[in-house]
Amino acid sequence: MSEHDQEQPSTLRPFDGVRVLELAEGISGPYAGRWLAALGADVIKIERTIGDPSRAFGPWPDDLPDDETSGLFLYLNGDKRSVTLNLETSDGREILRELSTSAEIVIESFEPGYLSSHGLGYHDLSADNSALVMISITPFGQTGPNANLPATELTLYAASGQMWLTGHPARAPLKNGGSQPSYQAGLNAFAAISGAYYGAIMHEQGSYIDLSMQETYAGMAEAFHNRASQLGIETQRGGNFLNALWGIYEVSDGYGGICALPRNYPGFARAVDIPELQEERFSDPGQRLINNDELMAMLYGWFSGQTRQGLMELGIEHRVPFGFVASFEDLSTSEHLQSRDFFAQRDDERAGSLTYPGRLWVSDGHDWKMGRAPLLGEHNMDVIHGELGYEREDLVRLRELDAI
Amino acid sequence: MFDPGRPLSGVRVADLTMIWAGPYAAKILADQGAEVIKIESPRAWDNIRTLIPPPVALGEHWWNTNFYLHEYSRNKKSLSLDLASDDGKAVLARLLPHCDVVIENYRTDVMDNLGLTYEWLREQKEDIIVVGMAGFGKTGPEKDAVGYGPIIEMMSGMTSTSGYGDDGVPYKSGISYGDPIAGICAAAAVATALIQRKRTGQGQYIDLAQREVMSTLLGEFYMDWSMNRRLPDHIGTGHDWMAPHNVYRCAGDDEWIAICVRTDAEWEGLKRAMGAPDWAERPEYSDQILRWEHRAELDEQVTAWTSSKSKTDVFAALHAERIPSSPVWKMLEVIREPHLRARGFYEPLQHPEVGIWSVHGWLWRADGAGPCILAPAPDFGQHNAEILGGLMGMSADEQWALEAAGIIATQPEGVPLASEMPPTPSML
Repeated sequence: MSEHDQEQPSTLRPFDGVRVLELAEGISGPYAGRWLAALGADVIKIERTIGDPSRAFGPWPDDLPDDETSGLFLYLNGDKRSVTLNLETSDGREILRELSTSAEIVIESFEPGYLSSHGLGYHDLSADNSALVMISITPFGQTGPNANLPATELTLYAASGQMWLTGHPARAPLKNGGSQPSYQAGLNAFAAISGAYYGAIMHEQGSYIDLSMQETYAGMAEAFHNRASQLGIETQRGGNFLNALWGIYEVSDGYGGICALPRNYPGFARAVDIPELQEERFSDPGQRLINNDELMAMLYGWFSGQTRQGLMELGIEHRVPFGFVASFEDLSTSEHLQSRDFFAQRDDERAGSLTYPGRLWVSDGHDWKMGRAPLLGEHNMDVIHGELGYEREDLVRLRELDAI
Repeated sequence: MFDPGRPLSGVRVADLTMIWAGPYAAKILADQGAEVIKIESPRAWDNIRTLIPPPVALGEHWWNTNFYLHEYSRNKKSLSLDLASDDGKAVLARLLPHCDVVIENYRTDVMDNLGLTYEWLREQKEDIIVVGMAGFGKTGPEKDAVGYGPIIEMMSGMTSTSGYGDDGVPYKSGISYGDPIAGICAAAAVATALIQRKRTGQGQYIDLAQREVMSTLLGEFYMDWSMNRRLPDHIGTGHDWMAPHNVYRCAGDDEWIAICVRTDAEWEGLKRAMGAPDWAERPEYSDQILRWEHRAELDEQVTAWTSSKSKTDVFAALHAERIPSSPVWKMLEVIREPHLRARGFYEPLQHPEVGIWSVHGWLWRADGAGPCILAPAPDFGQHNAEILGGLMGMSADEQWALEAAGIIATQPEGVPLASEMPPTPSML
């Protein structure tokens, strides 16, 4: 870290010079590692010799599967270095131990107990590195009766209570799109690591963190868990509506939405400009809920005459929480997002022209790296030979032994 | 002695946030040991206090009691302060030198309208870290758009990915998903800024747009648009290549279990759990590709097995075979779920006007950490004297003058006691 202390503050990123070992696959750990890398960390991604399984998930350009062009992998692994290690071999484990002495942060997502049983648990790695921050990200955490139960996005969505709340009340519970249980766990892991690393540099004392994807997801079930525990009330899923002023309506060119709290009503009534909305049966918050069905019927009609862009403009003019169901085409070409430099935009040598989220926030204190993801094992030579001092012929032997 | 659960101890946060996204961020900071001072005006308090009127909100001082408030504001302190008045702003100016962080999730123009610009904040504390969490950010043509969680979800691309697939309708998440996501990210932003301050001695201004954070959880969809100009199909609870992969109806009213089979080995396990039925030996179910092609009839067969049993019995059989599965836990069930209970995820929270109920504790668990919940959400203005007098050294006379002028208070203005209120329906 010391070599960076003399740099101008304006060029320093929060994790410049901090080394992270990413022993994590798929989405959660790599997502956390991606932002650490973007904020300057030297993230060494330890991949099994066949590569992170996310290399084998698409999308791919023109739907041609290729380990080096998976959109998911490229998105999650920018600015990292890739080293392949087979931890089932003693050479692989030894190289990992050597690397860990220079690491400030370790992210791992193996099945609970795996690393400890290979002499690579927090206790082992922190023995000579007491400021080490290490996080384990697993579906159900390190302890408890389900700790070793395999999981998928769908089963975690169900296990956290989120699924019960999602979908139409007359149909089966629904899952939201993509891989949200994994992504949200990755975001939580990023927050956990950042907080723990701050503690580590303030106190020169590391910590070990057990993150359960079920728990971080259950921890955002809005107030519905507490409503059950404080009042004993069950919540039914409501589809796209909480009430007439909180939901999704069809508009002439897609779907639009309104989410208004009582204090947003005056602006809403001005924006919609239907005279009945000024009547007390709608303007009074209590009576409005009693007359909800009538209000909703009226709004179905009103929304059907609106456009998505028109809603945005009305919302901005009257300060009303209107929005629309945006597509990735809308977003990738959004003037607003472009003006805020939200996207990484790269012409990738293998994958072509790419536009994808390139940062989390805007700061006047640092920028974000938006570089490419590594090829499988691209940095074996730099790290194992250049840094750890193994001879080139050692690398050949390690490859033949399937250690790298 | 370093407490690994509370790495942010020693950090003080002026918390100007309201409703959900901001308070969720500040909750994470408070759980991690920061001293979070929740600042609300007697005339513009956190709306979450009064979103749920009596009798659902319990107790005479009902603005202090609802479950929603306590979810987001446990472990915090409360200072009431009218920031729209010059006298209130002067008090804030005296508080800020004691603070490390200011966090707010107002509409994008509110801080400037109040005169609380970044420049002004820095004049009070040069290395202050300021996090603004406006829905659409502080710059750009849509900066004045406003939105709560579901709007953020719609505007991020998230909602476009969700749906049953047979009706073309996009569905929102059951919660206001955009809020906690922005909150977690803002907590991370604060920690990274503290790390940077430790290294450079400088604070920073962070413009965190809730919509953009949500979009980062959808990277593969942006890539598919970039690479193939393709938008996602709605696949309900199905999967691109796994089968069985669905929610299956169980005995009872609206009872479901999620089951996923990823490999041939898991398929063998599922067959054993189902009692090795003859139909499962048909050649059309003999490998993953065939099972996926025949997923509709496969789902019917699995439903025939699950629909006569309780979801917990089905889960026990699948758990024994290590098949990815979970009951679709309802809210009254998830708070008693044996695994979460065994891990101590829920902790008791006590408030004098409500009694004891349980809320979730650590979102993640540092080895050696004690209990997460040290205090319930503060009563409105509960820590006025502690902060104004104790921390800032303000005399009792000065505090009394502020109270007389309505700059501070212990009851939101115009909010009656529960016994003086007519019955009012709740939004939730």
